[in-house]
Amino acid sequence: MISGTAYGVVLNDRDQLAALGPALSEAPYGAPPDWPVVYIKPRTCFSFGGAPVLLPSDCDHLSVASTVGILLGRDAANVRRENAPAYIGAMCVALDVCTARDDYYRPAIAQSCRDGFLPLGALAAASALPDEIVTRIDGAIAHRWALSRLVRPVERLIADMSSYMTLRAGDLLLIGLPGDAPRAFAGQDIEISAGDLPALRTRIAAPT
Amino acid sequence: MRRARIHFAGREQWGAVEGEGDAQCVRLADGQCIASKDAHWLAPVTPGATIFALGLNYGEHRAELGFAKASTAPLVFLKGHATLAGHQSTTPYPSDAHQMHPECELVAVIGKPARGVQREQALGHVAAYTIANDYAVREYLENYYRPNTRVKNRDGATPLGPWLVDAADIDDPQDLRLQTRVNGEIVQDGATADMILSVADLICYLSGFMTLIPGDMILTGTPAGVKFVAPGDEVVCEIERIGRLCNRLEAPR
Repeated sequence: MISGTAYGVVLNDRDQLAALGPALSEAPYGAPPDWPVVYIKPRTCFSFGGAPVLLPSDCDHLSVASTVGILLGRDAANVRRENAPAYIGAMCVALDVCTARDDYYRPAIAQSCRDGFLPLGALAAASALPDEIVTRIDGAIAHRWALSRLVRPVERLIADMSSYMTLRAGDLLLIGLPGDAPRAFAGQDIEISAGDLPALRTRIAAPT
Repeated sequence: MRRARIHFAGREQWGAVEGEGDAQCVRLADGQCIASKDAHWLAPVTPGATIFALGLNYGEHRAELGFAKASTAPLVFLKGHATLAGHQSTTPYPSDAHQMHPECELVAVIGKPARGVQREQALGHVAAYTIANDYAVREYLENYYRPNTRVKNRDGATPLGPWLVDAADIDDPQDLRLQTRVNGEIVQDGATADMILSVADLICYLSGFMTLIPGDMILTGTPAGVKFVAPGDEVVCEIERIGRLCNRLEAPR
Protein backbone atom coordinates (compact mmCIF):
# COMPACT_ATOMS: atom_id res chain seq x y z
CA MET A 1 0.00 0.00 0.00
CA ILE A 2 0.95 3.61 -0.38
CA SER A 3 2.16 4.61 3.06
CA GLY A 4 4.30 7.58 2.09
CA THR A 5 4.35 10.49 -0.32
CA ALA A 6 2.99 10.50 -3.87
CA TYR A 7 5.52 12.26 -6.11
CA GLY A 8 4.97 12.98 -9.78
CA VAL A 9 6.81 14.74 -12.58
CA VAL A 10 5.60 17.08 -15.31
CA LEU A 11 7.39 18.11 -18.51
CA ASN A 12 8.69 14.56 -18.88
CA ASP A 13 6.95 14.18 -22.26
CA ARG A 14 9.20 14.68 -25.28
CA ASP A 15 6.28 15.67 -27.52
CA GLN A 16 5.14 18.28 -25.02
CA LEU A 17 8.61 19.80 -24.71
CA ALA A 18 8.84 19.97 -28.52
CA ALA A 19 5.42 21.65 -28.71
CA LEU A 20 6.31 24.19 -26.02
CA GLY A 21 9.63 24.83 -27.77
CA PRO A 22 10.89 28.40 -27.38
CA ALA A 23 8.25 29.24 -24.75
CA LEU A 24 10.38 27.41 -22.18
CA SER A 25 13.23 29.83 -22.82
CA GLU A 26 11.04 32.87 -22.27
CA ALA A 27 9.78 34.50 -19.07
CA PRO A 28 9.09 33.31 -16.49
CA TYR A 29 11.06 30.13 -17.23
CA GLY A 30 14.23 31.51 -18.83
CA ALA A 31 15.51 28.09 -19.86
CA PRO A 32 14.17 24.55 -20.26
CA PRO A 33 14.32 22.52 -17.02
CA ASP A 34 17.58 20.76 -16.17
CA TRP A 35 16.15 18.54 -13.46
CA PRO A 36 12.93 16.55 -13.08
CA VAL A 37 10.01 18.92 -12.41
CA VAL A 38 8.53 17.27 -9.34
CA TYR A 39 5.14 17.74 -7.69
CA ILE A 40 3.42 16.06 -4.75
CA LYS A 41 -0.15 14.82 -4.53
CA PRO A 42 -1.38 14.87 -0.90
CA ARG A 43 -3.07 11.82 0.63
CA THR A 44 -6.48 13.44 0.28
CA CYS A 45 -6.09 13.04 -3.51
CA PHE A 46 -5.86 9.25 -3.36
CA SER A 47 -8.98 7.48 -4.57
CA PHE A 48 -9.44 3.74 -4.94
CA GLY A 49 -12.02 1.34 -6.24
CA GLY A 50 -13.49 3.56 -8.93
CA ALA A 51 -14.95 6.28 -6.73
CA PRO A 52 -16.07 9.19 -8.92
CA VAL A 53 -14.06 12.40 -9.29
CA LEU A 54 -16.12 15.36 -8.15
CA LEU A 55 -16.10 18.26 -10.60
CA PRO A 56 -15.49 21.37 -8.48
CA SER A 57 -18.31 23.90 -8.68
CA ASP A 58 -15.92 26.54 -10.06
CA CYS A 59 -14.90 24.34 -13.05
CA ASP A 60 -16.50 23.44 -16.33
CA HIS A 61 -14.17 20.51 -17.10
CA LEU A 62 -11.08 18.71 -15.79
CA SER A 63 -7.78 17.75 -17.36
CA VAL A 64 -7.38 13.97 -16.98
CA ALA A 65 -3.79 12.82 -17.53
CA SER A 66 -3.08 9.10 -17.60
CA THR A 67 0.12 7.76 -16.13
CA VAL A 68 1.69 4.83 -14.32
CA GLY A 69 2.47 4.90 -10.61
CA ILE A 70 5.52 3.08 -9.30
CA LEU A 71 5.30 1.93 -5.67
CA LEU A 72 8.77 1.97 -4.16
CA GLY A 73 9.62 -1.38 -2.60
CA ARG A 74 12.84 -0.21 -0.94
CA ASP A 75 14.26 3.15 0.07
CA ALA A 76 15.98 4.57 -3.00
CA ALA A 77 18.87 6.95 -2.29
CA ASN A 78 21.66 7.63 -4.77
CA VAL A 79 20.49 4.77 -6.93
CA ARG A 80 22.28 4.12 -10.20
CA ARG A 81 20.18 3.82 -13.33
CA GLU A 82 21.05 0.19 -13.92
CA ASN A 83 20.04 -0.75 -10.37
CA ALA A 84 16.73 1.16 -10.37
CA PRO A 85 14.46 -1.79 -11.34
CA ALA A 86 15.25 -3.47 -8.01
CA TYR A 87 13.55 -0.59 -6.19
CA ILE A 88 10.23 -0.96 -8.00
CA GLY A 89 7.88 -2.85 -5.66
CA ALA A 90 4.65 -2.72 -7.64
CA MET A 91 2.90 -0.55 -10.19
CA CYS A 92 -0.57 0.68 -11.10
CA VAL A 93 -2.29 2.89 -13.61
CA ALA A 94 -3.17 6.32 -12.30
CA LEU A 95 -5.21 9.30 -13.41
CA ASP A 96 -3.72 12.65 -12.50
CA VAL A 97 -6.60 15.11 -12.39
CA CYS A 98 -6.09 18.86 -12.50
CA THR A 99 -8.36 21.86 -13.08
CA ALA A 100 -5.86 23.49 -15.47
CA ARG A 101 -2.31 22.89 -16.63
CA ASP A 102 -1.27 26.16 -18.21
CA ASP A 103 1.47 27.26 -15.84
CA TYR A 104 4.57 25.47 -14.61
CA TYR A 105 6.20 28.38 -12.79
CA ARG A 106 4.59 27.90 -9.38
CA PRO A 107 3.45 24.62 -7.80
CA ALA A 108 -0.13 24.01 -8.97
CA ILE A 109 -1.53 23.28 -5.52
CA ALA A 110 -5.02 24.78 -5.92
CA GLN A 111 -5.34 23.18 -9.36
CA SER A 112 -3.98 19.72 -8.62
CA CYS A 113 -4.47 18.93 -4.92
CA ARG A 114 -8.23 18.76 -4.62
CA ASP A 115 -9.84 15.82 -2.83
CA GLY A 116 -9.99 12.68 -4.97
CA PHE A 117 -7.81 14.07 -7.77
CA LEU A 118 -5.64 10.95 -8.00
CA PRO A 119 -7.70 7.86 -8.82
CA LEU A 120 -5.48 4.79 -8.71
CA GLY A 121 -5.86 1.35 -10.23
CA ALA A 122 -5.13 -1.82 -8.34
CA LEU A 123 -1.45 -2.45 -7.65
CA ALA A 124 0.11 -5.24 -9.64
CA ALA A 125 3.41 -7.07 -9.34
CA ALA A 126 6.30 -5.21 -10.84
CA SER A 127 6.88 -6.29 -14.41
CA ALA A 128 7.98 -4.54 -17.55
CA LEU A 129 6.33 -1.14 -17.97
CA PRO A 130 3.49 -1.06 -20.49
CA ASP A 131 4.29 0.32 -23.93
CA GLU A 132 1.39 2.74 -23.95
CA ILE A 133 -1.50 4.06 -21.88
CA VAL A 134 -4.99 4.36 -23.37
CA THR A 135 -7.76 6.64 -22.09
CA ARG A 136 -11.35 5.91 -23.05
CA ILE A 137 -14.04 8.46 -22.36
CA ASP A 138 -17.61 7.13 -22.59
CA GLY A 139 -16.20 4.04 -24.29
CA ALA A 140 -14.36 5.80 -27.14
CA ILE A 141 -10.60 6.19 -27.27
CA ALA A 142 -9.93 9.81 -26.31
CA HIS A 143 -6.15 9.63 -25.86
CA ARG A 144 -3.25 7.27 -26.12
CA TRP A 145 0.40 7.84 -25.48
CA ALA A 146 3.48 5.69 -25.82
CA LEU A 147 5.86 5.66 -22.86
CA SER A 148 8.70 5.96 -25.37
CA ARG A 149 7.77 9.67 -25.19
CA LEU A 150 9.25 9.94 -21.68
CA VAL A 151 12.28 12.26 -21.60
CA ARG A 152 13.50 10.44 -18.50
CA PRO A 153 12.48 6.80 -18.50
CA VAL A 154 11.69 5.34 -15.07
CA GLU A 155 15.23 4.13 -14.35
CA ARG A 156 16.72 7.54 -15.06
CA LEU A 157 13.93 9.29 -13.14
CA ILE A 158 14.65 7.20 -10.03
CA ALA A 159 18.39 7.81 -10.43
CA ASP A 160 18.05 11.59 -10.88
CA MET A 161 15.50 12.15 -8.10
CA SER A 162 17.22 9.84 -5.62
CA SER A 163 20.46 11.79 -6.05
CA TYR A 164 19.06 14.50 -3.75
CA MET A 165 15.96 13.04 -2.07
CA THR A 166 15.26 9.53 -0.87
CA LEU A 167 12.27 7.86 -2.47
CA ARG A 168 11.07 5.77 0.45
CA ALA A 169 9.52 2.34 0.44
CA GLY A 170 5.78 3.04 0.32
CA ASP A 171 6.18 6.27 -1.70
CA LEU A 172 4.45 6.42 -5.07
CA LEU A 173 6.18 7.86 -8.14
CA LEU A 174 4.01 9.00 -11.07
CA ILE A 175 6.33 8.71 -14.03
CA GLY A 176 5.13 11.54 -16.26
CA LEU A 177 2.04 13.15 -17.77
CA PRO A 178 1.12 13.57 -21.44
CA GLY A 179 1.17 17.21 -22.55
CA ASP A 180 -1.94 16.58 -24.65
CA ALA A 181 -4.08 15.12 -21.84
CA PRO A 182 -7.80 15.17 -22.71
CA ARG A 183 -10.55 17.09 -20.99
CA ALA A 184 -13.43 15.39 -19.24
CA PHE A 185 -16.84 16.77 -18.33
CA ALA A 186 -19.47 15.99 -15.71
CA GLY A 187 -21.20 12.67 -16.29
CA GLN A 188 -18.44 11.13 -18.40
CA ASP A 189 -17.06 7.68 -17.72
CA ILE A 190 -13.29 7.28 -17.92
CA GLU A 191 -11.27 4.11 -18.33
CA ILE A 192 -7.48 3.93 -18.26
CA SER A 193 -5.74 0.79 -19.50
CA ALA A 194 -2.07 0.05 -19.92
CA GLY A 195 -0.73 -3.34 -20.98
CA ASP A 196 -1.35 -6.04 -18.40
CA LEU A 197 -1.97 -3.64 -15.51
CA PRO A 198 -5.46 -3.73 -13.96
CA ALA A 199 -7.59 -1.08 -15.66
CA LEU A 200 -8.89 1.96 -13.78
CA ARG A 201 -12.48 3.08 -14.20
CA THR A 202 -13.93 6.24 -12.77
CA ARG A 203 -16.49 8.90 -13.57
CA ILE A 204 -16.69 12.67 -13.40
CA ALA A 205 -19.54 13.54 -11.05
CA ALA A 206 -21.36 16.87 -11.22
CA PRO A 207 -21.18 19.07 -8.16
CA THR A 208 -24.05 18.46 -5.79
CA MET B 1 1.32 20.55 27.13
CA ARG B 2 4.36 19.79 25.00
CA ARG B 3 4.42 16.48 23.13
CA ALA B 4 7.58 15.02 21.64
CA ARG B 5 8.37 12.04 19.46
CA ILE B 6 11.62 10.33 20.35
CA HIS B 7 13.47 7.16 19.50
CA PHE B 8 13.83 5.04 22.63
CA ALA B 9 14.25 1.32 23.34
CA GLY B 10 14.39 0.55 19.65
CA ARG B 11 11.15 2.23 18.65
CA GLU B 12 9.44 5.54 18.10
CA GLN B 13 7.48 6.79 21.09
CA TRP B 14 5.50 9.93 21.87
CA GLY B 15 5.82 11.48 25.31
CA ALA B 16 5.01 14.61 27.30
CA VAL B 17 7.85 17.04 27.92
CA GLU B 18 8.15 17.97 31.60
CA GLY B 19 10.30 20.52 33.40
CA GLU B 20 13.04 22.82 32.15
CA GLY B 21 16.80 22.90 31.82
CA ASP B 22 18.84 20.00 33.20
CA ALA B 23 15.73 18.57 34.90
CA GLN B 24 13.72 18.40 31.69
CA CYS B 25 12.57 14.96 30.54
CA VAL B 26 10.15 13.25 28.16
CA ARG B 27 7.49 11.22 30.01
CA LEU B 28 6.66 8.10 28.02
CA ALA B 29 3.36 6.18 28.13
CA ASP B 30 4.80 3.60 30.54
CA GLY B 31 5.68 6.32 33.07
CA GLN B 32 9.44 6.49 32.71
CA CYS B 33 10.88 9.93 31.96
CA ILE B 34 13.81 10.18 29.54
CA ALA B 35 16.18 13.09 30.23
CA SER B 36 16.02 15.59 27.37
CA LYS B 37 19.82 15.68 27.18
CA ASP B 38 19.79 11.93 26.40
CA ALA B 39 16.76 11.93 24.10
CA HIS B 40 17.03 11.06 20.41
CA TRP B 41 14.54 13.54 18.99
CA LEU B 42 12.44 12.80 15.91
CA ALA B 43 10.34 15.24 13.92
CA PRO B 44 6.96 15.36 15.73
CA VAL B 45 5.00 14.30 12.67
CA THR B 46 2.37 11.63 12.10
CA PRO B 47 2.60 9.13 9.21
CA GLY B 48 1.17 10.32 5.92
CA ALA B 49 0.65 13.92 7.05
CA THR B 50 0.59 16.48 4.26
CA ILE B 51 3.34 19.04 4.79
CA PHE B 52 2.42 22.45 3.35
CA ALA B 53 4.97 25.25 3.17
CA LEU B 54 4.60 28.92 2.33
CA GLY B 55 6.96 31.00 0.27
CA LEU B 56 7.17 34.77 0.43
CA ASN B 57 4.72 35.16 3.32
CA TYR B 58 6.58 38.03 5.04
CA GLY B 59 6.80 41.42 3.31
CA GLU B 60 10.41 42.23 4.22
CA HIS B 61 11.56 38.77 3.10
CA ARG B 62 9.73 39.23 -0.23
CA ALA B 63 11.52 42.55 -0.66
CA GLU B 64 15.02 41.18 0.06
CA LEU B 65 14.45 38.46 -2.59
CA GLY B 66 13.37 41.06 -5.14
CA PHE B 67 9.61 40.45 -5.16
CA ALA B 68 6.88 43.05 -4.76
CA LYS B 69 5.80 43.40 -1.15
CA ALA B 70 2.18 42.68 -1.97
CA SER B 71 1.16 39.12 -2.68
CA THR B 72 -0.89 37.94 -5.64
CA ALA B 73 -1.85 34.33 -4.91
CA PRO B 74 -0.34 32.51 -1.92
CA LEU B 75 2.81 30.61 -2.89
CA VAL B 76 2.24 27.14 -1.44
CA PHE B 77 4.43 24.10 -1.98
CA LEU B 78 4.46 20.61 -0.49
CA LYS B 79 7.14 18.50 1.14
CA GLY B 80 7.68 14.78 1.52
CA HIS B 81 8.70 13.14 4.78
CA ALA B 82 12.31 12.21 3.94
CA THR B 83 13.23 15.89 4.17
CA LEU B 84 12.12 16.08 7.82
CA ALA B 85 14.57 15.75 10.70
CA GLY B 86 14.30 16.18 14.46
CA HIS B 87 15.75 18.51 17.07
CA GLN B 88 19.55 18.23 17.33
CA SER B 89 19.75 16.66 13.88
CA THR B 90 22.51 17.10 11.35
CA THR B 91 21.68 18.25 7.84
CA PRO B 92 23.88 17.29 4.90
CA TYR B 93 25.50 20.32 3.27
CA PRO B 94 25.62 19.67 -0.50
CA SER B 95 29.16 19.37 -1.80
CA ASP B 96 28.68 21.95 -4.56
CA ALA B 97 26.51 24.45 -2.66
CA HIS B 98 27.46 28.00 -1.66
CA GLN B 99 24.04 29.56 -1.08
CA MET B 100 22.32 27.44 1.55
CA HIS B 101 20.40 29.37 4.20
CA PRO B 102 18.12 28.59 7.15
CA GLU B 103 14.52 29.78 7.41
CA CYS B 104 12.81 29.84 10.81
CA GLU B 105 9.08 29.20 10.52
CA LEU B 106 6.04 28.81 12.76
CA VAL B 107 4.28 25.50 12.04
CA ALA B 108 0.57 24.97 12.64
CA VAL B 109 -0.58 21.37 13.12
CA ILE B 110 -4.16 20.53 12.14
CA GLY B 111 -6.27 18.91 14.89
CA LYS B 112 -9.63 18.30 13.25
CA PRO B 113 -10.69 17.99 9.61
CA ALA B 114 -11.07 21.31 7.84
CA ARG B 115 -13.05 21.87 4.63
CA GLY B 116 -14.51 25.21 3.68
CA VAL B 117 -13.58 26.73 7.02
CA GLN B 118 -14.28 30.41 7.63
CA ARG B 119 -11.42 32.57 8.82
CA GLU B 120 -13.14 33.23 12.16
CA GLN B 121 -13.38 29.49 12.96
CA ALA B 122 -10.01 28.48 11.47
CA LEU B 123 -7.88 28.47 14.63
CA GLY B 124 -10.30 25.98 16.17
CA HIS B 125 -8.88 23.44 13.71
CA VAL B 126 -5.32 23.84 15.01
CA ALA B 127 -4.14 21.23 17.54
CA ALA B 128 -0.62 22.49 18.14
CA TYR B 129 2.31 24.60 17.02
CA THR B 130 5.96 23.83 16.46
CA ILE B 131 9.06 25.20 14.70
CA ALA B 132 10.60 24.36 11.34
CA ASN B 133 13.93 25.30 9.82
CA ASP B 134 13.07 25.22 6.13
CA TYR B 135 16.58 25.27 4.62
CA ALA B 136 16.90 26.40 1.00
CA VAL B 137 19.80 26.01 -1.42
CA ARG B 138 19.38 28.97 -3.71
CA GLU B 139 21.70 27.98 -6.56
CA TYR B 140 19.47 24.96 -7.22
CA LEU B 141 16.44 27.16 -7.99
CA GLU B 142 14.79 26.50 -11.33
CA ASN B 143 11.74 28.36 -12.63
CA TYR B 144 9.58 25.24 -12.68
CA TYR B 145 7.28 24.57 -9.74
CA ARG B 146 9.55 27.01 -7.95
CA PRO B 147 10.75 26.50 -5.25
CA ASN B 148 11.60 23.13 -6.75
CA THR B 149 12.28 19.98 -4.73
CA ARG B 150 16.03 20.13 -5.31
CA VAL B 151 15.95 23.39 -3.30
CA LYS B 152 13.34 22.49 -0.68
CA ASN B 153 12.91 18.73 -0.37
CA ARG B 154 16.44 17.48 0.19
CA ASP B 155 17.00 14.64 2.67
CA GLY B 156 17.15 15.88 6.26
CA ALA B 157 16.97 19.53 5.20
CA THR B 158 13.79 20.45 7.09
CA PRO B 159 14.44 20.13 10.83
CA LEU B 160 11.16 20.24 12.76
CA GLY B 161 10.47 20.37 16.49
CA PRO B 162 11.67 20.03 19.17
CA TRP B 163 8.05 19.24 20.17
CA LEU B 164 4.44 20.17 19.61
CA VAL B 165 2.98 22.81 21.92
CA ASP B 166 -0.79 22.53 22.40
CA ALA B 167 -2.70 25.33 20.69
CA ALA B 168 -4.43 26.03 24.02
CA ASP B 169 -1.06 27.18 25.38
CA ILE B 170 -0.52 29.77 22.62
CA ASP B 171 -2.80 32.77 23.12
CA ASP B 172 -2.16 34.33 19.72
CA PRO B 173 -0.08 32.66 16.98
CA GLN B 174 0.28 36.08 15.31
CA ASP B 175 2.07 37.54 18.33
CA LEU B 176 5.25 35.46 18.52
CA ARG B 177 8.86 36.49 18.03
CA LEU B 178 11.05 34.29 15.79
CA GLN B 179 14.84 34.31 15.82
CA THR B 180 17.53 32.35 14.03
CA ARG B 181 21.09 32.20 15.33
CA VAL B 182 24.02 30.86 13.34
CA ASN B 183 26.95 30.05 15.66
CA GLY B 184 25.33 32.42 18.18
CA GLU B 185 24.90 35.36 15.80
CA ILE B 186 21.32 36.53 15.24
CA VAL B 187 20.55 36.36 11.50
CA GLN B 188 16.75 36.44 11.56
CA ASP B 189 14.67 38.41 14.06
CA GLY B 190 11.04 38.68 13.09
CA ALA B 191 7.49 38.56 14.38
CA THR B 192 4.59 36.40 13.26
CA ALA B 193 2.56 39.63 13.32
CA ASP B 194 4.29 40.42 10.00
CA MET B 195 2.95 37.37 8.16
CA ILE B 196 1.02 38.42 5.04
CA LEU B 197 -1.42 35.54 5.42
CA SER B 198 -2.02 34.55 9.03
CA VAL B 199 -2.44 30.98 10.26
CA ALA B 200 -6.22 31.50 10.12
CA ASP B 201 -5.99 32.94 6.57
CA LEU B 202 -3.96 29.93 5.42
CA ILE B 203 -6.40 27.38 6.84
CA CYS B 204 -9.27 29.29 5.26
CA TYR B 205 -7.44 29.40 1.89
CA LEU B 206 -6.30 25.75 1.80
CA SER B 207 -9.58 24.35 3.13
CA GLY B 208 -11.34 26.32 0.43
CA PHE B 209 -10.28 23.76 -2.18
CA MET B 210 -9.23 20.65 -0.23
CA THR B 211 -9.70 18.88 3.09
CA LEU B 212 -7.07 19.32 5.79
CA ILE B 213 -6.64 16.20 7.93
CA PRO B 214 -5.46 15.94 11.56
CA GLY B 215 -1.69 15.77 11.61
CA ASP B 216 -1.27 17.93 8.49
CA MET B 217 1.28 20.67 9.00
CA ILE B 218 1.50 24.19 7.60
CA LEU B 219 4.95 25.83 7.57
CA THR B 220 3.91 29.45 7.47
CA GLY B 221 6.90 31.15 5.85
CA THR B 222 9.95 32.98 7.10
CA PRO B 223 10.85 36.59 7.93
CA ALA B 224 13.75 38.54 6.40
CA GLY B 225 17.38 37.58 6.93
CA VAL B 226 19.09 35.46 4.29
CA LYS B 227 22.37 34.26 5.81
CA PHE B 228 24.43 31.71 3.92
CA VAL B 229 25.73 28.93 6.15
CA ALA B 230 28.68 26.56 5.94
CA PRO B 231 29.46 23.00 6.99
CA GLY B 232 29.92 22.76 10.75
CA ASP B 233 27.66 25.72 11.53
CA GLU B 234 25.27 25.42 14.47
CA VAL B 235 21.82 26.79 13.61
CA VAL B 236 19.19 27.50 16.25
CA CYS B 237 15.64 28.53 15.35
CA GLU B 238 13.68 29.88 18.29
CA ILE B 239 10.06 30.91 18.62
CA GLU B 240 8.89 32.31 21.91
CA ARG B 241 6.55 30.09 23.95
CA ILE B 242 7.42 27.12 21.72
CA GLY B 243 11.12 26.39 22.10
CA ARG B 244 14.49 26.25 20.39
CA LEU B 245 15.14 23.92 17.45
CA CYS B 246 18.85 23.10 17.12
CA ASN B 247 20.59 21.73 14.04
CA ARG B 248 24.09 21.38 12.70
CA LEU B 249 25.32 21.37 9.11
CA GLU B 250 27.36 18.36 8.23
CA ALA B 251 30.22 18.51 5.76
CA PRO B 252 29.74 16.47 2.58
CA ARG B 253 31.37 13.06 2.68
